[in-house]
Amino acid sequence: MSMDYRMAWRNIWRNPRRSILTICAIVFACALLVFMLSMQFGSYYSMIDFSVRIHTGYMQVQAKGYQKEHNIYQVVPQPERVARILSSNPEVRAFTYRANAFSLVSSRQRTYGALVIGIEPDRETQVSTLKSLVRKGEYLAPGDGTRALVGDLLARNLKVDVGDELVVLGQGRDGSVAATVLTVKGIFSSGQEDFDRSTVNIPLDTFQQVYSMDDAVHEVVVMGRNLRDMAGLKREIAASVEQLPDGRSLVVLDWMELMPGLIQGIKIDMMSGVIFYLFLVVVVAFSILNTFVMAILERTREFGVMMALGTSPGRLIRVLLMESMTMTAIGILCGIGAGVVVTWYFQIHGIALSGADDILKQFGIPDRIYPRLSVWSIAIGPAAVFIITFFTALFPALRVRRLRPIAALGHV
Amino acid sequence: MHRPRYRTLMIMALTAAAIAPCAYAQAPDPGKLVTAAFDYWRGTASISTVKMTVHRPDWERSMTLKAWTRGEKESIFFIIEPAKDQGNGTLLKDGQMWTFNPKVNQVIKLPPSMMSQEWMGSDYSNNDLAKSDTLLIDYTHEVTGTETDAGKKVYLVKSTPKPRAPVIWGMQKLKIREDYVILREEFYDEDMNLVKAMDASDIRPVDGKPFPMVWIMRKADKENEYTRLDYRDLKFLATLPDRLFTLSNLRNPER
Repeated sequence: MSMDYRMAWRNIWRNPRRSILTICAIVFACALLVFMLSMQFGSYYSMIDFSVRIHTGYMQVQAKGYQKEHNIYQVVPQPERVARILSSNPEVRAFTYRANAFSLVSSRQRTYGALVIGIEPDRETQVSTLKSLVRKGEYLAPGDGTRALVGDLLARNLKVDVGDELVVLGQGRDGSVAATVLTVKGIFSSGQEDFDRSTVNIPLDTFQQVYSMDDAVHEVVVMGRNLRDMAGLKREIAASVEQLPDGRSLVVLDWMELMPGLIQGIKIDMMSGVIFYLFLVVVVAFSILNTFVMAILERTREFGVMMALGTSPGRLIRVLLMESMTMTAIGILCGIGAGVVVTWYFQIHGIALSGADDILKQFGIPDRIYPRLSVWSIAIGPAAVFIITFFTALFPALRVRRLRPIAALGHV
Repeated sequence: MHRPRYRTLMIMALTAAAIAPCAYAQAPDPGKLVTAAFDYWRGTASISTVKMTVHRPDWERSMTLKAWTRGEKESIFFIIEPAKDQGNGTLLKDGQMWTFNPKVNQVIKLPPSMMSQEWMGSDYSNNDLAKSDTLLIDYTHEVTGTETDAGKKVYLVKSTPKPRAPVIWGMQKLKIREDYVILREEFYDEDMNLVKAMDASDIRPVDGKPFPMVWIMRKADKENEYTRLDYRDLKFLATLPDRLFTLSNLRNPER
């Protein structure tokens, strides 16, 4: 240990109370940042997880251009070839086919435009929460023919209830007129307004027949085992899909591409979070600045003596910075430790959202928030604290250069 | 989103008309020129058979329609080909639209929210078919130049919306031949970008007056996507009976 560092270390503990207070401020800031960031990431995770479970899945295989244009003839032909790829991948937890067509949906009294979705009742339950969202009547069963699940807002607009008839009029894949009469079997409510206001779900085989789809579908919806490993899984599936004879006309899109609004919302929320954290860090910086400035003012006489003995200002500055950086380092390490412990506890036990349980449960949103520790949530906050304390310490340390030994010696 | 709300040439075509007085104009008043051109098409009544082809880069589909029109606000048409869709009908009356499907045996009235949707997957929107002549009511016109086409003078007309008029197109441009045949109609958005354009061609005499037998509506940025209307059969009449343009005729057409 160099001489300078030994001096710095002793200086820290010459006034233990002051040093410990400073360290505590840093510990608190770091722990708070670790916890808050983990909370934020955790809530994004559950938001994303919840959203992908409602409808989109982790990713989808579609015809190129379908996501943007949604033309009924942009199909995945012979989807069982994609299914074979998916079945052979252990990271795929479940998948299902869907087909969509924007159509006129008419009850006896009213007519609205809505998205008619063909689903596989069995496999859909593995992929989405649709079944649990049925509030009235029943979920579809295989072989249900022309029975349908209708969003509650759409049902209200159409003034239909379970058992009532709906007429659907749209355009088939071959351009022909697609028309059929459906019977409402169930009414669902997801809490996502546009989904509840504008979708009708019918069995896929019925859809394919009405809309002249043959065996083609529009989406193969994939659920993985873990959102975090999605990127790798997407690459694998995309690589295999491309090997198919007509693979170039298909694309694999992940939830970020399927729901650009969600990721934008998260970005905006993240920005407001960042502003809050900046405030927090600035407040901490001022308190640290205060202790550093006080420390240096108190020690003017000491510096005067050292300079009179021949210590160069540069060396003094170095020692001072070593002091402050040592304290910061201790604070940050303890802060990360404390933050991780606290966050870890809640990551296991969750934080109950009081009061809102029933409403949340109804829509399948977990009633507890689980923070999520990650390298980022641990590193970002402390890194910011480190940088800002360095500069806060630099400012008073540089004042030493302005000291004149004689004047400093006379300082009380 | 554009909700095309203009006097549509398809309807004009379908609504083709008895002859307007052929006062071949010298220096035409732009408003009168446009009105005369529309009158030329609109006339009183017509019966026609039209083949509609929707073309996409990887896809094409045709169907044949039989249409009856009276004035500018009433028309009814049925699909006669392909056989699969035979009997599907559409009634347009006073800017509203009903559609009939024989399979479900029901008449459905299109809600206003659906009027901006494309009609039968074509490049025409429901509004294109159903909305009457806002071009005449909500726009002011000026002649910006002249061309010559097959020895005839062609006026270039620029139509801009009147202040606060409930229109969506920011501008329309017309090419009107001196005998009132409309050769081209262009639709611009509020930023004055071309959205789509319709071209008329194959002008032949029908009941003594020249009439374009082919109409092609094309999106501005997509050369390979268009909807083509071919008149197979066209007859102009003085009038047609009221009962043709009713819901009961839509349901049980007399053919």
